[in-house]
Amino acid sequence: MAKEMVAMLLAGGQGSRLYALTQKLAKPAVPFGGKYRIIDFPLSNCVNSGIDTVGILTQYQPLVLNEYIGNGQPWDLDRLYGGVHVLPPYQQAEGSDWYKGTANAIYQNISFIERYDPQYVIILSGDQICKQDYSDFLRFHKEKEAEFSVAVMEVPWDEASRFGLMVADDNDRITEFQEKPKNPKSNLASMGIYIFNWDILKKYLIEDEADPNSQNDFGNNIIPNLLRDGRKMYAYHFDGYWKDVGTISSLWEANMEVLDPEHSGIDIFDENWKIYSRNSGMTGHKISGDAVVENSMITDGCRVKGNVKHSILFAGVKVDPGAEVEDAVVMGGTHIKAGAVVKHCIVAENVVIGENAVVGAMPGEGESGVATIGAGIVIGDNAKIGPKAMVRENVKDGEEQW
Amino acid sequence: MVNHNADALGIIFPNSYDNLVPELVSERLMASIPFASRYRMVDFILSSMANCGIDNISIIVRKNYHSLMDHLGSGREWDLVRKNGGLNIVPPFAEKTVKVYNGRVEALASILDFLKSQKEKYVVMTDANIAVNFDFKSLIAAHMESQADVTIVYTESEIPKGVRDKETVTGDLYYTFNIEDGQVKEIYINSKEKGIQNLSMNIYIMERAFLIDQIEKAFVKGQVYFERDILAPQLDKLNVRGYKYEGYMALICDMRGYFEENMKLLEDENLDALFEGNPIYTKIRDDNPTRYINGSRAKNIMAADGCVIEGDVENSILFRGVKIGKGAKVRNSVLMQGTVVEENATVESIITDKNVTITKGKEVKGTDIFPVYIAKHQVV
Repeated sequence: MAKEMVAMLLAGGQGSRLYALTQKLAKPAVPFGGKYRIIDFPLSNCVNSGIDTVGILTQYQPLVLNEYIGNGQPWDLDRLYGGVHVLPPYQQAEGSDWYKGTANAIYQNISFIERYDPQYVIILSGDQICKQDYSDFLRFHKEKEAEFSVAVMEVPWDEASRFGLMVADDNDRITEFQEKPKNPKSNLASMGIYIFNWDILKKYLIEDEADPNSQNDFGNNIIPNLLRDGRKMYAYHFDGYWKDVGTISSLWEANMEVLDPEHSGIDIFDENWKIYSRNSGMTGHKISGDAVVENSMITDGCRVKGNVKHSILFAGVKVDPGAEVEDAVVMGGTHIKAGAVVKHCIVAENVVIGENAVVGAMPGEGESGVATIGAGIVIGDNAKIGPKAMVRENVKDGEEQW
Repeated sequence: MVNHNADALGIIFPNSYDNLVPELVSERLMASIPFASRYRMVDFILSSMANCGIDNISIIVRKNYHSLMDHLGSGREWDLVRKNGGLNIVPPFAEKTVKVYNGRVEALASILDFLKSQKEKYVVMTDANIAVNFDFKSLIAAHMESQADVTIVYTESEIPKGVRDKETVTGDLYYTFNIEDGQVKEIYINSKEKGIQNLSMNIYIMERAFLIDQIEKAFVKGQVYFERDILAPQLDKLNVRGYKYEGYMALICDMRGYFEENMKLLEDENLDALFEGNPIYTKIRDDNPTRYINGSRAKNIMAADGCVIEGDVENSILFRGVKIGKGAKVRNSVLMQGTVVEENATVESIITDKNVTITKGKEVKGTDIFPVYIAKHQVV
């Protein structure tokens, strides 16, 4: 039986601007919000929207991501027909290629999509934190009798030139596309989420592949080609929470926003739109008698004996007596030893922070650094990590890194 | 052949000792009593078995098993979805010869055909009233080495007050042993002795063929209890050995004991002793992490995911999805899944069952020795 819509999730990006956090894992696998990984958001959105067939296009450091997705059961995507499939580049009779660009990644998996004979294909991005009902987007696409629709967000005019912009008429029909223009004609930024009629997408993917000068990219090639041919292209306005977490500071910010769902708009506590994830299976967390926990989120398996303020602790984090944690994102399995001070920073998984070590600092006026410590790093006792440091290697006792 | 699996199948009696905690089992059974902030009692034995390669497990339910079925589902969380074996929930009336069973003999008689058709050499039988991270591999090895007919796991401890002080014992019996050189010499039923005893944990291992033979013989004689009617009279003929368990365990005997065993887990050493062996699995609920909102205060608590804490909590165990409102005060309490303590309410020394609501400004207090219990779905 044909599927009405199949999702293709672009998860191959290296996420080079996350530096130490993506040394060993792809950006969509980066932990987020206490017990999730970034990819949980698009996957959960799919399931909650009724999409049960998802192809995940991977390329960079896929090991963690592959293991995490597994058979897709945590997202209810272990289906007999459909379900979630991880799609790395593969060898073919006439040679093999890495995914050359976003469009080429889909092109190389045309046969995967054809198996489900879909009417529509939705292209999703694996590096955004967003809760979105794709079925509403599809309803819009159908109502407009569109061949291509793109989800757009209104952004402040002074920031518009950082985005790919859609210029649309009163009927939301797209008339022009500007990629990071100096003089923006619109403030409708593309979220990188597209719905295509499959026949149209397929036609343009094949044409694009035949063009030796193409970068095989949706933004640079496919969308301009659709415009050139006067296809029916529409902009779907999305006004919920959306954040590209491609940089350390945006990732940190988005985590902090999770702590304040009343104002930030990202509410992971919503029973009606659950975000699913692979669970740690640890026991309940413990707050000991002399611990202080303020305005924070704490996950199963944590043991808090020190002070935790305005922070997110992922599963199994230990905070020893006298340690201070503030404005920090501390990922799973990390151990913060007695007297350590950890502030305004991102600490990746399974890090050890030695006794009385100092990591990061609350920013002064006009400062904005977020200290970052890569997975598995050991920070020695009394070591000091500056507020803008990017730590990729162990730091010995008493040493400093800025 | 590479084989990580134990050559033993598991049988769990989830209703054993239901009668000790009538309030907690009014809508469930012993095995599905919530424990330790996010588990059900059965999770401990079930996970222990699964971790030790016992992956053909039958749960012979007696009554009130709806909550257990809901909890276990297909057994996926315990990795017990298997083509061969896996989790097998046996409802009553599986065979027309047997109605709702009383003792193990009747229960086992109802699954004789099943037992005969299996291929594992050994059978491990347990109840579900003990939270324990048990190493069945060592038990199986010890049993094989000793060549006993039956090996019974016991612990050296006092008989819990909850069972010893009951004037009339209805339903389930409990057993203590006289053991010499590891040999069980005598089995005492419902002993009133004080002081340290060899208390049975009701974990047994024996050969499957032996069990089938004994149950067939006992059932035609109308016998009911495995221990009283099969083992005790044959101690001179059979080689019945004791296997001493010295690790951590939580035994549920009465409401107060239930409260205390939960509270004991606030001590790190107890929590570690129970959980640091192999993982204990439970049903996944996909809760968000627990949120401590500005103005909250928490001291000496254990809390599962999914809680929202705005008030002041001390010395308490919070299960999944508990909500503590602004200005609310919670002391020395065990609050099960979905409990809501609304603004400015005060609770002390209470146990709330699932989805209880303590409304605004209300005050509910038990005492240290007698915690107040509030039944499922009650609104106070």
